[in-house]
Amino acid sequence: MDSFAANKRFAQDIAVTFPLLSDWKRDVVKAYGLLNEKTGYSARATFVVDKDGIIKHIEEGNTAIDPTGAYQACSVFDKKKPGN
Amino acid sequence: MRGRNYLVPFLLLLWALMAHAQQPTPPKTQLKVGDAAPEFTLRDTEGKEVKLSDFKGKKNVVLAFYVLAFTGG
Repeated sequence: MDSFAANKRFAQDIAVTFPLLSDWKRDVVKAYGLLNEKTGYSARATFVVDKDGIIKHIEEGNTAIDPTGAYQACSVFDKKKPGN
Repeated sequence: MRGRNYLVPFLLLLWALMAHAQQPTPPKTQLKVGDAAPEFTLRDTEGKEVKLSDFKGKKNVVLAFYVLAFTGG
């Protein structure tokens, strides 16, 4: 929902190493069921998606700001590797 | 005069209760674990298009919807 320019500055400030995408038209937050149509704002959430495009973990609300849940969900992928 | 001492805290409490009552309920996603993640194409900070399917078969993806991150909202 933030503009490209705002995202670019934010990306520089926090030195991100991953793609920081702008959902300016709110299409994606709508598709993911996060858009509040009345206010025009979206809820914060984290989705962990596997290599096949399947959702493996969802974190919503205030806990979505804390990456711990998503980090733990990612550790599931490591356990599935052969030999681990 | 004593009544006036109680008026300000009372008004503050009333305002706080009204503000709390007016807070919109945050939307809950209809998606569930095990569902296919909806495909999307968005632009990154360099203007390059990034699709969710770009990572299919290659990488696991964490989608963090961090709304109004820079603008302080």
